Amino acid sequence: MSEGPESYESAVERLEQIIDRLDSGQAGLRETLDLCREGRELVTYCAAELDAVGEGLQELRLDELAAKLEQPAE
Amino acid sequence: MDLPGPFPVGRYAKTLRDELRKRARVRLIGEVTSLRQTPKQAYFELRDGEGAVPCTIWADELERLKLPDGALRDGAEFVVAGGPDYFIGSAASSPSFSFRATHLRLAGEGDLLARLDGLRKQLRAEGLFELQKQLARPLLPRTIGVVTAESGAARRDLLAGLRRRGWAGTIVWAFAPVQDRRAAPAIAASIQELAARPEIEAIVVTRGGGSLVDLWAFCDETLCRTVAMLRVPVVSAVGHERDSTLIDDVAAVACSTPTHAAEAAVPLDCLAARSGLERSAASLQRAGEGAVGARARHLAALARGPGRALKRERIALNQKTREIRAASERGIAERSSFQRRIALVVLDRAARRAAGPEAKQRREALRRAEVAFRAHDPERTLERGYALAEDAAGEPVTSAAAAVAAGRVRLRFADGRVGAEIESDGGGHERGA
Repeated sequence: MSEGPESYESAVERLEQIIDRLDSGQAGLRETLDLCREGRELVTYCAAELDAVGEGLQELRLDELAAKLEQPAE
Repeated sequence: MDLPGPFPVGRYAKTLRDELRKRARVRLIGEVTSLRQTPKQAYFELRDGEGAVPCTIWADELERLKLPDGALRDGAEFVVAGGPDYFIGSAASSPSFSFRATHLRLAGEGDLLARLDGLRKQLRAEGLFELQKQLARPLLPRTIGVVTAESGAARRDLLAGLRRRGWAGTIVWAFAPVQDRRAAPAIAASIQELAARPEIEAIVVTRGGGSLVDLWAFCDETLCRTVAMLRVPVVSAVGHERDSTLIDDVAAVACSTPTHAAEAAVPLDCLAARSGLERSAASLQRAGEGAVGARARHLAALARGPGRALKRERIALNQKTREIRAASERGIAERSSFQRRIALVVLDRAARRAAGPEAKQRREALRRAEVAFRAHDPERTLERGYALAEDAAGEPVTSAAAAVAAGRVRLRFADGRVGAEIESDGGGHERGA
């Protein structure tokens, strides 16, 4: 897999396709190994996405963000 | 110019006023704005999203209506009864048009529902209900924007809903006076500011329950048109009755509670997703190991194949050898038996021949042969007086030279043997003894 997935949903969709294909038992050795490698990359990507929204809620206020934007860049 | 006139303007103004006063008296509904009161009159504009009319009411008439204190104020929804009028002006004041109100009342639920119904039909006809619903909603947004009151149950419930999903991303709060019936412009501004931030992937607009009058800001035409045109999906959770407000119609998703709004804003249950991901990882692991293991076993079996094949061939070969040996022994036995049978047949035939009529002839022939044989028998010759010279070994000496060489011979007569010396005659030997 040369490029990362576009989104979590596309990653999950592809992952489901891969597992269906592997479960079918119709993939040859080369394809199986390729699918496993791609699947592991997708799992890693999805886990990272979940980690990104699992490490603690961050709460910001729109008015504070707007104020920051109005400050001159340092 | 062939138009009528010119007429004196004062007379024209009075005619205009009289014509306007002839128009049918009606009731109007709209929001009161720009309220101004003097001892003689109250002035305000009654407006909605499409337009406005300047209104006036005499102070004494307003007094007689006995409206609750503060009821007539900017932002209040009112039903105004009256008709058009024209003030022709005076030396001290300018002329002006107004809708002369003779009766006012706060708009009730029924009035608002009727107005909402009209608005709903209009926005639906323009296709504004579908725009947000066509937007893709991210399964797992990292950042969401929320428009709500800073203090209130809605904020708390939304947070609880997000927590239950295992979501702990970033929330950008845009606090707005959502309890205020006149809050529509502030709410619309907050939504627009949130939508302008690229990191925000979904926007939630929420407040607790209330009557339609309380929630009227969320039926504001301008606010709803703003929401409909956004490219960021908006989740509405206003009040407890689904589709009671117009914003529910234009939003991507309408929810009945802030908790449901949390689920709509973050469609993925992060806790369940983690478990699912672990199962996927295990499936992949199994598939990979299984494929390699199965093939490795197959390869190992193939590697053992040649040895097994040789063994198999050797066994088969030994078996063949045994079979061939057995077959050949069987063959020999059969052939011997056959030959024995042949020999028996031949002997049998011979025996039968010997016992047959040929036997007599054969015996006669034998007798003749015996006579001939006896005629040539040396013994018969000796009986006629001849002698046979023999050497020491008993072999016949058949020439003089052999007799000389033997030196001594034995002479065999018919009646016995005697020894004899051979004498050499010096010049040769005599033929005969």
